[in-house]
Amino acid sequence: MDVGQIIANGLVLGALYACLAVGFSLVWGVLNVINMLHGSFVILGGYLTFFAAQVIGIHPLAALVPVALILFVLGYALQATFINKVVAAPVLVTLTLTFGLDMILYNVMTVYFSATPRQLTLGLGSVEFWGIFLPVERLIGMGLALALTAILFVTMRTSSIGRAIVAVRMDRFAAALMGIKVNRIYAITFGIGALMAGAAGSVFAMVFPVTTNLSGVFLGKAFVVCVIGGLGSVPGALVGGLALGLVEAFAGVLLGPQNALTAGFVLMLLLLLVRPTGILGVKGYE
Amino acid sequence: MKLSPTIAGLLSGAALALAATGGALAQDGEPIKIGAPLALTGGLADEGQKQRLVYEMWAEKVNAAGGIEVDGVKHPVEFIEYDYQTDGPRAGQLAERVINEGAQIIMAPFGSGHSKITATVGQRYQIPVVACVASSESVYDQGNPYLFGTLSPNSNMTKAMVAYLKEKVPGLSTVAIYGKDDVFPKSMASATAAAAEDGGLKVVYNELYPAGAIDHSSAISSIKSQNPDWVYVTGYTQDLILARRQLANLGVEPKVLTMVTGPAYVEFTEGLGELADGVTSQTWWHHTVAYEGVGVWPTTASFYEDFKEASGGQDPDYVHGSCAGALVMLEDVFKRAGSLEGPALRDALAATDIQTFYGPIDFGENGMNQARDLPIIQVQDEDIKVLYPESIATADLELMGD
Repeated sequence: MDVGQIIANGLVLGALYACLAVGFSLVWGVLNVINMLHGSFVILGGYLTFFAAQVIGIHPLAALVPVALILFVLGYALQATFINKVVAAPVLVTLTLTFGLDMILYNVMTVYFSATPRQLTLGLGSVEFWGIFLPVERLIGMGLALALTAILFVTMRTSSIGRAIVAVRMDRFAAALMGIKVNRIYAITFGIGALMAGAAGSVFAMVFPVTTNLSGVFLGKAFVVCVIGGLGSVPGALVGGLALGLVEAFAGVLLGPQNALTAGFVLMLLLLLVRPTGILGVKGYE
Repeated sequence: MKLSPTIAGLLSGAALALAATGGALAQDGEPIKIGAPLALTGGLADEGQKQRLVYEMWAEKVNAAGGIEVDGVKHPVEFIEYDYQTDGPRAGQLAERVINEGAQIIMAPFGSGHSKITATVGQRYQIPVVACVASSESVYDQGNPYLFGTLSPNSNMTKAMVAYLKEKVPGLSTVAIYGKDDVFPKSMASATAAAAEDGGLKVVYNELYPAGAIDHSSAISSIKSQNPDWVYVTGYTQDLILARRQLANLGVEPKVLTMVTGPAYVEFTEGLGELADGVTSQTWWHHTVAYEGVGVWPTTASFYEDFKEASGGQDPDYVHGSCAGALVMLEDVFKRAGSLEGPALRDALAATDIQTFYGPIDFGENGMNQARDLPIIQVQDEDIKVLYPESIATADLELMGD
């Protein structure tokens, strides 16, 4: 067993998981909305990146920023138009609403883009260090995933919008009394969640096939990462993603690939039993 | 509104004239209704659309020729289609619905799992179900007398593959098998493992991956440590595209790489470009294989020509071929049955032994099309070449990395 290769596989995959989950975690933590649209947002980001590359000839890395901004606008509009109307309702209501919106988005994409898997082939090969193979596309993806997560972390810590989001997350009534327009912050937060999903979609288009078939899989991964890492916290998503990536990588070799996904869920269940807030979660957001 | 007697008279005259013209053009009998639960949205939407395209082409062609003659009466054909959204249980509900709406026969949806669900409903109502895209024997071993499938058994393919590779690849001794834990890919993986062992090969890795796996790096790292001569991967197109890229990225270079059914779909080669080169596969039908037979498409060339036109220049794959083959077979079945009742159609289906452009169709005891030589294909210069059987081969096997 080549432990170095397994750790490398796990870390690269884990960083991609973190990138996938951070927007989902933010929306869940701040709005208490389990956003069923998240997987389809990632796929939409992937399609936009794919078509930007195929039709207009824009490099996927250059497409990342405009794609993320398009998704921000879409997310903001959806929250302001639909979800804000029921955001204070029990979590089942928002879950059902986002589930319905997801079915619409998913099938619109399937009808217009078809479910045929599409792949951006950058053909960058891999680099080898001490017998460990690291695919360049995945390394770029990992770098971008970490950078995006770091940018979001800094934004949440230092910008006035970020502080307002944190304030709403901690106590929306007190935040409203302080003059924060809560509904606007909700829409911005949902927009940022979609923005991160769109950016993840651009990164993923370089690594995974782009197809609507994967939207449910991505949503499931985001869910597990959030529970492992802790809700609403950017570092939590990073830690949760890396933990899941490593667990899947080792379980894939030691227990067989068919048990790798189960191992991730077992980790999630164990954490729910012993530490329901997740590894880095804050009490009250479990 | 009250019409004046003159206008009313004119209108009724026109209506009568229209009815008379229509009567002269229409076929004599009631339409033959064929139920078709299809995955038009959801994960299998592309496959569902492929089936629908062929159904439409066939219905148009049959109706233009005056319909199908059953017991001296010509009947047009009509599909009752519903989208089951790639949701297995819903496929079963819709099969029930099309039967309640008068379907005399059902074309099963894509894949072994969903075909099995539909077939169970057909049996309950004594309505025959024709599965044109289900090849796993586990679908046909349930003793359902109303299920018939036009694809040949999986095990038939794998034995031919092992024999072919042993002959063509000097020193071939080890194989790694990696398959998706789903009805068809799992059945192919286990059939290949059995065929490889029977053929004297050593199976050095044999694992399944679950539906929903989006990373194969652990498995591929394990395969790499075994350094097999032959790597055999099964799954659906998106899994195989990902696995092919990861095999390349992690430096796995076997002499032979087989992905089933990857290259049988044009989406695989389009998605991978040069990386698809050298990948071998097996398929139930390829349009270069020419057969002649019954129905509105008496030759492969006639189907190919119509398909090109209907699809805007695409090449048909085995899904199109098998489903179109099943439909031209049905023309013959309806004629032979002399009735549109389920049990009579079932008996006629069971007695089928005919040639079609898709190949011979002769159902065995379990309702599956009998074994025959199925093509082994390889991607060479981003194009599909047929390697086997020799009578139709268009190229020789190229080893990976050559």
